[in-house]
Amino acid sequence: MTDPLAAAEQIASAAAAEPPTVTMSAGSAERSPLPSALLLLAAQVRYQAKLLLSSPRGLVIGVGLPIILLVASKGKAAHPDVAGYAVFGLTMTAWSTFGMRLVAARESGVLKRWRATPLPRWCYFVGSILATALVSVAAGTATVLAAFLIYGHNLGDGPHVYVTGAGAAAVVGVCFLGALAFAAATTALTSFVPSVEAALPTLMLTYFPLIIVSGVLFSIAEPHWLSTLASYLPAQPLVDAMTKVVRHTPGEGFVPLRDDVVLACWAVGGLVAAVALFRWEPHRPTASRRRSAKARS
Amino acid sequence: MNTIEIEGLTKRFGGFTAVDQVSFEVPRGQLLAVLGPNGAGKTTTLEMAEGFFAPTSGTVRVLGADPRRATRAQRARIGLVLQSTSLDPELTVRDTLVLYAQCYPAPYRVGEALALVDLADDAQTKVGALSGGQRRRVDLAIGMIGRPEVLFLDEPTTGLDPEARRRTWAAVGHLVAAGTTVVLTTHYIDEAEHLADRIIVLAGGRVVADTTPAKLRAAGGPSTISYPLPAGAPIGDLPPSLAPYLDLEHRALVVREADLTASLGALVAWADRAHLDLAELEVGPPSLEDAYLAMIGEPTTTEVRLP
Repeated sequence: MTDPLAAAEQIASAAAAEPPTVTMSAGSAERSPLPSALLLLAAQVRYQAKLLLSSPRGLVIGVGLPIILLVASKGKAAHPDVAGYAVFGLTMTAWSTFGMRLVAARESGVLKRWRATPLPRWCYFVGSILATALVSVAAGTATVLAAFLIYGHNLGDGPHVYVTGAGAAAVVGVCFLGALAFAAATTALTSFVPSVEAALPTLMLTYFPLIIVSGVLFSIAEPHWLSTLASYLPAQPLVDAMTKVVRHTPGEGFVPLRDDVVLACWAVGGLVAAVALFRWEPHRPTASRRRSAKARS
Repeated sequence: MNTIEIEGLTKRFGGFTAVDQVSFEVPRGQLLAVLGPNGAGKTTTLEMAEGFFAPTSGTVRVLGADPRRATRAQRARIGLVLQSTSLDPELTVRDTLVLYAQCYPAPYRVGEALALVDLADDAQTKVGALSGGQRRRVDLAIGMIGRPEVLFLDEPTTGLDPEARRRTWAAVGHLVAAGTTVVLTTHYIDEAEHLADRIIVLAGGRVVADTTPAKLRAAGGPSTISYPLPAGAPIGDLPPSLAPYLDLEHRALVVREADLTASLGALVAWADRAHLDLAELEVGPPSLEDAYLAMIGEPTTTEVRLP
């Protein structure tokens, strides 16, 4: 059997014998300009989007579930609730997939590490919110495209829905605004989530009441005050705007103004709250836990 | 000017004082090891120097600035490795390093950094598929990717096998050779001895020693001979000079003296006469571990290992 100490010495001497061919000098950083913040932001968007897309769970929830709902409702209603299903996939991505990822990154110390780098701090969360909005839009758009493939043009109240450039741009625009609103709001919310274990229940307990009162997946009989309230929350305006765009009649305008204003307010308000509340550090053990840890050591 | 200046640093969490009036300076290019048991305040001290939270009282200055208010340019001159591994498991090693390297004005090339931590062969491996030791070295590669002037390493080798520790030590050694100032926390005495120019021992949040490896060792008391007695050893024939060192309970001879020459000579002569096997004989320098344990108020552990 090999002596472990001798093996360690061998490794050390091998390391000493073959130093990596690196030109070393500390401190050259102060002489070179810092990289542009916009380039770093673009890199953050790419990085965050890659992480979101690497989650199979996220893809199943964002695209798989809405398509299953579309297929399941074929033949049961005159028209499928394309807007509702697309909004469901989009908001699940922006709210739950992103929220869980953010909490996991914070609790594992990834955010703490980013905070110590020369990345401008706003780049991290603006990059992650933008990336989430883009991935969520892709999820919502995938649902709409799937609906066209499954149902043909028989989506609206009229005999046909005409897919025009303006219509497509309006769908994407509304999706983007809605996704921004959800991603910014969940960024603010995650500051109150103490652990990875608490992330899913917290996000689901805030999400499902919201989409139920907003009639995202099905309409419910609700008191007037509740539907008035829902019209100021981000989910119902997003569904309304999407419905108007998807079932749009040629000749009418595309822009559902009131809905867009509500979504824009949530996006801006969520971003302001996210900046104010954003938490970089994992939750520390409490003083009493520290004391008991010390007593053990 | 010193690279790091810490004065009267104190941190309380509720009624618990984690760091108590800690003061030290670190000149440019020094490798300082902060040694201490769990809960001694090592990480709390380091994280205040890294700017993660404010001290209850006292001051920290790193590269002449308050780390809590460090600008982007100042952050670009400082690297760190946190106590726990902090990486996205979904990215490859190369993608991870590219991402961090982009943030710095004059980073190492990714291939150079990977060569330094001996991970060149794993560039395309996803971080989640690496062993604990490899992940820790990715952490180290991120910490040094920006060619830092100051590098903080919080227990960089805890839990690593001897091979991974040696590789980490080699990478840190290269950085120090390049002029980087390094502050490293550890609870491995041999790590501090191997790497450090200087050792600060923390216990209960206070500095109990600010010394060098050589001085710490000198504080460890006399050198030691230990010899577990083989069965049938003629104890009655033991030279009178060695008799006081007989430990009958452990059936061993344990000599602690500043100069061991005479005792060693007598022991070898006696063993030769009695035809005893000396394979188990150990002659050791003053124990760094004993000095350290005495400082942090723990019982020393040097005793004879019996077959």
